[in-house]
Amino acid sequence: MGYSDPSGRDLLGNRSLCFIFICAFGLVTLLQQILYGKNYIKRYFEFYEGPYNFNSTICKDLRQEIMDVKVLSMVKQSELFDRWKSLQVCKWEMNKVEANAFKTSLSRCCNAPTFLFTTKKNTPAGTKLRYEVDSSGILHISAEIFKMFPDDMPFSRSQFKKCAVIGNGGILKNSKCGKEIDSANFVFRCNLPPISDKYAIDVGYKTDIVTINPSIITERFQKLEKWRKPFYEVLQTYENASVVLPAFYNTRNTEVSFRVKYVLDDFDSPQSVFYFHPQYLLNVQRFWMMQGVRAKRLSSGLMLVTAAMELCEEVHLYGFWAFPMNPSGIFITHHYYDNVKPRPGFHAMPNEIFNFLHLHSRGILQVHTGVCR
Amino acid sequence: MKGSALNSNGILRMISKFPRNKLPMGAALGIAVLYWLYIFTLYRIPSDKEIVNEVLRQGNVWKKNLTAALMFRKQLEECCDPKNLFAVTKQNTPLGSTLWYDGEFFHSLSVNNDTYSLFIKETPLQQALKKCAVVGNGGILKNSGCGKHIDKADFIMRCNLPPLSKEYIQDVGTKTQLVTANPSIIEKRFRNLLWSRKAFAESVKIYGSSYIYMPAFSMKPGTDPSIRAFHTLSDINANQTVLFANPEFLWNVGKFWKARGIHAKRLSTGLFLVSLALGLCEDVTLYGFWPFSVDLNEQSISHHYYDNVLPYSGFHAMPEEFLQLWLLHKSGTLRMHVGPCPDEV
Repeated sequence: MGYSDPSGRDLLGNRSLCFIFICAFGLVTLLQQILYGKNYIKRYFEFYEGPYNFNSTICKDLRQEIMDVKVLSMVKQSELFDRWKSLQVCKWEMNKVEANAFKTSLSRCCNAPTFLFTTKKNTPAGTKLRYEVDSSGILHISAEIFKMFPDDMPFSRSQFKKCAVIGNGGILKNSKCGKEIDSANFVFRCNLPPISDKYAIDVGYKTDIVTINPSIITERFQKLEKWRKPFYEVLQTYENASVVLPAFYNTRNTEVSFRVKYVLDDFDSPQSVFYFHPQYLLNVQRFWMMQGVRAKRLSSGLMLVTAAMELCEEVHLYGFWAFPMNPSGIFITHHYYDNVKPRPGFHAMPNEIFNFLHLHSRGILQVHTGVCR
Repeated sequence: MKGSALNSNGILRMISKFPRNKLPMGAALGIAVLYWLYIFTLYRIPSDKEIVNEVLRQGNVWKKNLTAALMFRKQLEECCDPKNLFAVTKQNTPLGSTLWYDGEFFHSLSVNNDTYSLFIKETPLQQALKKCAVVGNGGILKNSGCGKHIDKADFIMRCNLPPLSKEYIQDVGTKTQLVTANPSIIEKRFRNLLWSRKAFAESVKIYGSSYIYMPAFSMKPGTDPSIRAFHTLSDINANQTVLFANPEFLWNVGKFWKARGIHAKRLSTGLFLVSLALGLCEDVTLYGFWPFSVDLNEQSISHHYYDNVLPYSGFHAMPEEFLQLWLLHKSGTLRMHVGPCPDEV
């Protein structure tokens, strides 16, 4: 029902209203194109001469664009991808000032070189160890448990020059990053990922620390109550890598994690087994909470990155990408080896990744998402 | 005492109060008495001393009685078919069949793919064996010097993973072809194999390439430890083969001996092995079967040759079993060695 004047002409009726709307829409789109499109046009017409320096003005602008996104929900995902993609023309360089400040704040909160794992030094026999999940209660460290701990932390602050932390994202598939990863001084991997020849070209062989989630042991290896050799054989593919388990997350994890140590001892394996100190994990969680990463539980990837930040001078992340498509918008699998989605609502993966992109822009660590040369 | 007297008074009063209840109560009492008679023997078991005297009177005189041996073996074959049924095999327990636990009241396990894969293909002792030795763990073996005698046998069976370390070799020998392992031992000595398994793997090495015979399907709590023992040994590619005792065989052997007057909740492993040996071998010799606290010279001896841990009372009826075996010895069906073995062989 439109308004019609007595002369019979349709002054502000249905049709003219429609027309006005269309015109307004067109105008806004045009304005947008003029305002934002400028950058793109500029970029396309500029003569591309290899990657830009980290500190060149254009890179500063590009990085600022990512830093401007304060919360993930502020922009559309595709918009973030675009900004990230355009940043790829810039070389990455460590920002010493930022990185040192960040590391100092980390050492103040978490102190990985002394508290990352439970050791004989930081957890004497008779300690009442509090589980990470409060409701799980307290574990009394008996002489037998104490015996399984290493004498002291095996790593010291900034011991390694260049570290690589491998998330297992599907983005690693066909990345050809294997060589680059193997060239790092120290390589962290999460959750017992396959590194067979089939994947080696993308993910490399070298492993110095591998974490195992006890739920994997429960599901794939029947809690080690039955056969143990299959599990041992899987661990052997990592050669001398140390195995790290969140044994003191909750009571369910403890027995299974201890069993891993027994299995390796029984088979006379030189690999050592470490357990995350629950207090360290809690501190890390609190630290990231203040940085805006909220989740029921942080992923083991983030834990490793946090530890690596303290143990290494330079941290490179590979395979940390938790979106259904890569920055170019092509759909990818969830992991580089399978496409099993995790339980929703437990981890806040996109948030964590977004956080890494920020750290990358600040020059604290480098996130690799493209193809390696 | 007082309490029980009062109690029985109360029951009597109750019975007289309700005359109608007299009959069922009487019947119940009668059944209780019969059951009591069944469990506790009517005849008195001879005392240790009498048995010692009896054994001494018999002395070293023993003569094999082939007909008795053959007859006994035939009886065993009829009831239990030891050769084919003593262990669970893929042949006698096909996929989907049900294993009824012989030590539980009403409990069974149906064979699925997982369990079926644990079974040996077919019964391992096909051909008849000539000379078998069954070695019990009685303290009488200590300083007996029977080691060489035992090692002469073709097939040597031992009970309950006994120690065979250097200090015992002289008395118990070194060879083993079949050794039983009670799940309760796995639970106690090896912490159920849930933690470190090395101790177990090391301790069975001493038995060479023998069979480890486990009553996995007798008691409910015994199944998991037994299967874990199988996993442990298959993980390290051990020489030993785990055989699971067939509950049907154990049940039948139990009935067989019950008919001959052994009143125990459960037969000892030794007697199961003797029954198996009698069914499989031509000559059976027993060593270390002596459940008494004194030896033939009335010197007190330890319970086992390696320790002096007494078993739960009332579970096994060792003296009765010994008497039965002694009867077989006297009849020439098998030979029982008590006391030291002579030096010359």
